[in-house]
Amino acid sequence: MEENIKKFKAIRNIIIAGFIIIILASARLQIIEGKKYFRLSEKNRIRQTVIPAPRGKIFDRNGIEIANTRPGFYVSVIPSIVDKAALTELTHILGIKEKTVREKFKSEKNPFMPVKIAHDISYSQLSIIEENMDRLKGVEVAVEPLRNYPYGELFCHVLGYVGEITNLEIKKYENYSINDYIGRMGIEEYYENTLKGINGVEYIEVDARGREIGKLAEKRPVPFIPGKDLHTTLDCALTESVAVYLADYKKAACVCLDPRNGEVLVLYSKPGFDPNLFVHGLQEEEWKILNTTPDAPMYNRAIMSCYPAGSTFKPFIALAALDSKMITPDKSFSPCWGKYRLGRRIFKCWKIHGKLDLYGAIIKSCDIYFYQLGAFIGIDTIASRAKEAGFGRKTGIDIPNEKNGCLPDRTWFEKHYGKNWTEGHLFNLSIGQGDLLVTPLQLACAFTLFANNGEIPTPHINKELKPQYHKTSFSKEALEVVKEALGGVVLSGTGQLARIKDCEICGKTGTIQNPHGEDHSLFIGYAPKERPEILVCIFIENAGHGGSVAAPIAGKIIKAYLKTKSTYAKEN
Amino acid sequence: MQKRIDLGIVVAVAALSLIGLIMIFSTAGISTFTRQLTWLAASIATAVVFSKISPRLWSTLAPFIYFGVILMLVLLLFTSDSYPKRWFKLGWINLQPSEFAKFATILFLATVLAAKKRLKNFSDILIPLLIVSIPAALIFIEPDLGAAQIFYPILILMLYWAGMPGVKLFIFFSPIISAAASFSIYIWVLYFVGLTVFLYFHKQLSDLVYGLVSNFLAGLSMPIIWNSLKPYQQQRIISFFSPWLDPKGMSWQTIQSKIAIGSGGIIGKGFLSGTQKRLEFLPERHTDFVFSCLGEEFGLVGIVLTTLIFGYLLYKILILTKETKNKFSSILASGILAWFSYQTFINIGMTLGLLPVTGVPLPFISYGGSSLLACFMAVGVCMAISKSKFKY
Repeated sequence: MEENIKKFKAIRNIIIAGFIIIILASARLQIIEGKKYFRLSEKNRIRQTVIPAPRGKIFDRNGIEIANTRPGFYVSVIPSIVDKAALTELTHILGIKEKTVREKFKSEKNPFMPVKIAHDISYSQLSIIEENMDRLKGVEVAVEPLRNYPYGELFCHVLGYVGEITNLEIKKYENYSINDYIGRMGIEEYYENTLKGINGVEYIEVDARGREIGKLAEKRPVPFIPGKDLHTTLDCALTESVAVYLADYKKAACVCLDPRNGEVLVLYSKPGFDPNLFVHGLQEEEWKILNTTPDAPMYNRAIMSCYPAGSTFKPFIALAALDSKMITPDKSFSPCWGKYRLGRRIFKCWKIHGKLDLYGAIIKSCDIYFYQLGAFIGIDTIASRAKEAGFGRKTGIDIPNEKNGCLPDRTWFEKHYGKNWTEGHLFNLSIGQGDLLVTPLQLACAFTLFANNGEIPTPHINKELKPQYHKTSFSKEALEVVKEALGGVVLSGTGQLARIKDCEICGKTGTIQNPHGEDHSLFIGYAPKERPEILVCIFIENAGHGGSVAAPIAGKIIKAYLKTKSTYAKEN
Repeated sequence: MQKRIDLGIVVAVAALSLIGLIMIFSTAGISTFTRQLTWLAASIATAVVFSKISPRLWSTLAPFIYFGVILMLVLLLFTSDSYPKRWFKLGWINLQPSEFAKFATILFLATVLAAKKRLKNFSDILIPLLIVSIPAALIFIEPDLGAAQIFYPILILMLYWAGMPGVKLFIFFSPIISAAASFSIYIWVLYFVGLTVFLYFHKQLSDLVYGLVSNFLAGLSMPIIWNSLKPYQQQRIISFFSPWLDPKGMSWQTIQSKIAIGSGGIIGKGFLSGTQKRLEFLPERHTDFVFSCLGEEFGLVGIVLTTLIFGYLLYKILILTKETKNKFSSILASGILAWFSYQTFINIGMTLGLLPVTGVPLPFISYGGSSLLACFMAVGVCMAISKSKFKY
């Protein structure tokens, strides 16, 4: 009997302990962790559906839409509902890999949240999916605003493109979800925050199978805020003309600025790509092709390609010499016989020019005059004054990935060639060859110095940005001399082919020696001479002489610009 | 002598059945509720009839009932064309023999154990072990692991109550612990050392030899058994130990059940207002996971109230077990106690995420005619025992 009491107590204690454990465990779940589990239960039943905000439109200076949005159908899948057969069928219809879809599933932790797997599907794909909807459980089709570039390739580099945010990027940026688009390159990247807008949210009650029960009454939807429109300084018509004039060339870059305020009218680079392609979601192979093709269509030559400045650098040498009062405009050196001996090396000129003063040297682009002038004023003067003109550093334009270029100075030469760098290096620099590297935009900005009487405006594309100026210390007299010579270049010198009727152009040609093939053709100029409104800088790779190839195109561009300018039309 | 039935048990069972009905209405709607109500009526009638049968007669009938149920289980395996083979489909009624097997086995086991004068040696365990292992094995083949495992705790408690020393029982069943501990070599070594020390001080050579050899073999064979398990079976065990590893898969039920209970808070979301339940996030809402819905809709208050009623019922049966003078009746009551308490703890422990998910119904509350009927049969027997508890 006593044993029975002992056993009774043992069993009773075990049962009591069991109930204490149950109550404690319940209390832990319901009191201590109650809030967490309540949140989880709400998360279970409430699906937040993102209503994507349409991206802001981008306009050219005349109000033409160069980037807008259009509706597109997308397909999303709820991972917890879709079965293997449905997924196989769906990927077959959409022509995408099942593996890619499964990768995307991994990015969304909540298995009830739909994951977008295909954007901008075609009407035929849409109709096949709709027909088989009862079999394709967990598959949804909906409309979203998609980026659209009505001019295709024309503005690809300056606008950039938008693409789906990657798993890697999403860790970097806050407030983005895996289904969002993000701007890449150009304006789209630089003004991402302006253009993006804020997505809206709709709360929908769903059951365990992800089926929508209805909109949630207790939680109001949050409306989206569309992205802000961006008005640019770009000129659509002029860019189209530029593209037409450069149609025959494979690789080229063109920058047109308003030299008075730095507004960028044209920022063109070729070859290009169709930014609309990225909206569909580029396949791996397409992306590979775009990135590895030798012509590099994704490369914005206008701000990234670093070329020697060639003869277009000569006016800056002249300006440095005049401004430092080391020479007067009538200064002459040993006559040009087509060759110039320096020690054991012979430096050539492209033509025999005879005896020249500064005007003549610029107008005829005589190398031998500038070898001697460069050596005469020395590396320090050249480097410091060229630096003041903006060489060797970014212009500060409001798009990303701009390159610095290269402006060698004494330290640079010593670093690269040791103490024994020779006058030969200086000779090359004096005619804009060798180690000097500029981007087309940099060169265009430097040239505003002449058009704008010593002030260099910061180039910009956003029309709402106030012009900013970098004031240089070049004297008015020195500038006048060079400007006069630049007028002469087009009037009677190497740039004669740029001449147009009823408008005087100042400019300079450049032929960049290219040891790997045909020379690069370059022209930079502005017009009208007295009240400059447009500055054009053209680089055409492997096209030959600047005077014969780039100059006439620049003339045509200026003509096209002036033709559309009513003020000019009225006054003339 | 007192001839009145134990009202405490009646009240507790009535309260639990009412809670069950309320929760079934909330989780499964009116038609399931009506069916359960019909089952409840039939079960109450059965209990009333059973309460009139003298325990002596049960003792006589026990072998026939036991072998009758075994026959049913065998027949089920051969005749059922569904999978798992758990039910006889008789028109609109689905009968689940495994539920009745629990009742029949307890009856038979009580008869066998009551007939034994002394329970002392391991050999005394063998026949009772065989008695539970036959139905357990047949149910395991169905397969219904949840129902099959129950027979062993029932056996242990009945043996213990019938006179087998606790230490003996521990040593006999200790290989199970060894097998469980062998998932980690460190834990297993620790356990084995502890066991050796314990057996050394126990000072019985046969126990020492049996304990060491059986534990060693069990620990050794576990990895082999583990590897022979099907991946989904392994997955189940893994997911129990780390439920958030694969929230979409095996652990889904545990997680959703915890969310349901946890989100209920102190006073619950209110009758019929459980979102986890309504939107079908909760699996097996009216059967195995009915307790989770209770937690969601009635909160901690509901859980504490229900567990107190369970506690009261079990305590009353325990008292009955102690006070009953007749050995057979007392052992029989202990079997019923083991059955109800084990199922209660396993079911609630599973919904709280404390134990792995095995399909065990919550007595009197989960939907299920066979389960309810079998439980009420046992309650009827308890009534009969309580009426005659002072008879030797």
